[in-house]
Amino acid sequence: MKPLLIVKKQGVYGSLQDQGRYGYREYGIPLSGPMDKVSFQAAHYILNNEKNQTTFEMFIGGFEFEAIDDGIYVLTGAKCRCLLNGVPIEMWKTFHLTKGDVLSIKSVSHGSVVYLTPKGGFQTESILGSSSCFPLVGEAINEGSILYGKNTGTLHYTRGLYAPFRPIFKSDITVRIFKGPHFELFTEESQQQFLQVAFQFSGGNRMGYYLKGSILKLKKMKDIFSEATQFGTIQVPQNGEPIILMADAQTVGGYPIIATIHEEDLHKVAQMRMFNTIKFVLMEEDVCP
Amino acid sequence: MQRKIDFPHTMWISQHTIRFAFREEISQENFQAVQQFNRFLKKHLQQNLIESVASYHTVTAYLKQTKDSIDINFLQKQWLIMQVATKDNEVISRKLQIPICYDEEFALDMDRVMNYTGLSFENIKKIHMSKSYSVYLIGFLPGFPYLGDLDKELFVPRLRKPRSSVSASSVGIGGFQTGIYPLDSPGGWNIIGKTPLNLFDVHGKEIFIFSLGDQVQFYEITKQEFYEIKSKGV
Repeated sequence: MKPLLIVKKQGVYGSLQDQGRYGYREYGIPLSGPMDKVSFQAAHYILNNEKNQTTFEMFIGGFEFEAIDDGIYVLTGAKCRCLLNGVPIEMWKTFHLTKGDVLSIKSVSHGSVVYLTPKGGFQTESILGSSSCFPLVGEAINEGSILYGKNTGTLHYTRGLYAPFRPIFKSDITVRIFKGPHFELFTEESQQQFLQVAFQFSGGNRMGYYLKGSILKLKKMKDIFSEATQFGTIQVPQNGEPIILMADAQTVGGYPIIATIHEEDLHKVAQMRMFNTIKFVLMEEDVCP
Repeated sequence: MQRKIDFPHTMWISQHTIRFAFREEISQENFQAVQQFNRFLKKHLQQNLIESVASYHTVTAYLKQTKDSIDINFLQKQWLIMQVATKDNEVISRKLQIPICYDEEFALDMDRVMNYTGLSFENIKKIHMSKSYSVYLIGFLPGFPYLGDLDKELFVPRLRKPRSSVSASSVGIGGFQTGIYPLDSPGGWNIIGKTPLNLFDVHGKEIFIFSLGDQVQFYEITKQEFYEIKSKGV
């Protein structure tokens, strides 16, 4: 374990994430893990890391780091301006930091979540079998925080993803959904609107994304018994505006669940930003497992 | 002879998630069925099961593989066989005695509860301690136990505006349930006391005090006893 970076400027929100904390949902512990699994996995692929290494996930940039030691890194995820000692560097491609170098993650232009990953991954205390930040217990990453790495080998060549293989984050997305257990409790009109209206992202965090577009109503007011939820569950609280539960979602919820998003489409959802829109298409029954 | 529990209604929530639902009601019968089915799944899905979350009337199973890996018909048959073969339909549960201090320093909403129920302070305590509660559900916060069923006399709606912070180990009541906050957190239950125990300790030998199906009974301690237990750091 060696100190790699010091956080010089704190952005909107950043947290360390590995694949997630499995096996404790029955005790109310959220799964956590990366919001955008594709960009997370790409980082480890590019660096030739093991799959479950730890990365630093940032929302909408704004972070600045200074290197305490030499290291090899890659930046993946949302498209943003990244500067190494003031000079722009390319994302999706490994780069080297030497002691004293300053790395700045500037404005994000497409998408919202950026991953900074070192060769070997970051090193942090593992709680209940995972290094993913545990928002209620763990330590937050603030200005002055030090990010540690492992003593791992180096890469003797530059690796990256060719542009055609890099994900593109669009401002209007369509995602596949499965009907939720309470879908039929909504009025026919609301069911149709849910599948036709392009909903707009109106804010959110690692727990949930809020949508606006149509007010979804139940046929009749009914108390729903709390039941298990997951990353991708779409709940509709009393105000009728859907919420998509994200990576830090609480394990059970008591709002009606209208649908669940297909796991392979979750990375697109994660990268939504203000005023982006999302449409839902129902999986064909025979495709549906 | 025991009553047979029908196989629950099955629904795929996503590629790796399957939901089993019993009748839509909160009852001891459902609770027994859910606990039994949850154990049944853990046994029969084994390697394919990452984890499962049991609730009032559902068990949701998170799987490693998708659709084709699960043979629902086979599960149904196994369930039937088990129902016939086993007499042990009762949930094996632990009985836990939890100390609680109802001192006014901790019982922030006692006035509200007294006004709403028309009961005296003494009676509220007595009724709250009069029976043991099942841990119906764990969630909302890590290790937060939903304990039911509260005596009807103590039904009080949740606060109109939740508190921005309820301190860890506070005991609350809301609707037909009582519960204990494992961590400092926002919360809308009526706080009537506090336990000196830590419910959740990620670094402890036992991370969580409660498991689903545990039977929990409260007993009263004085403020002095509260601080004595607290200082021992149980």
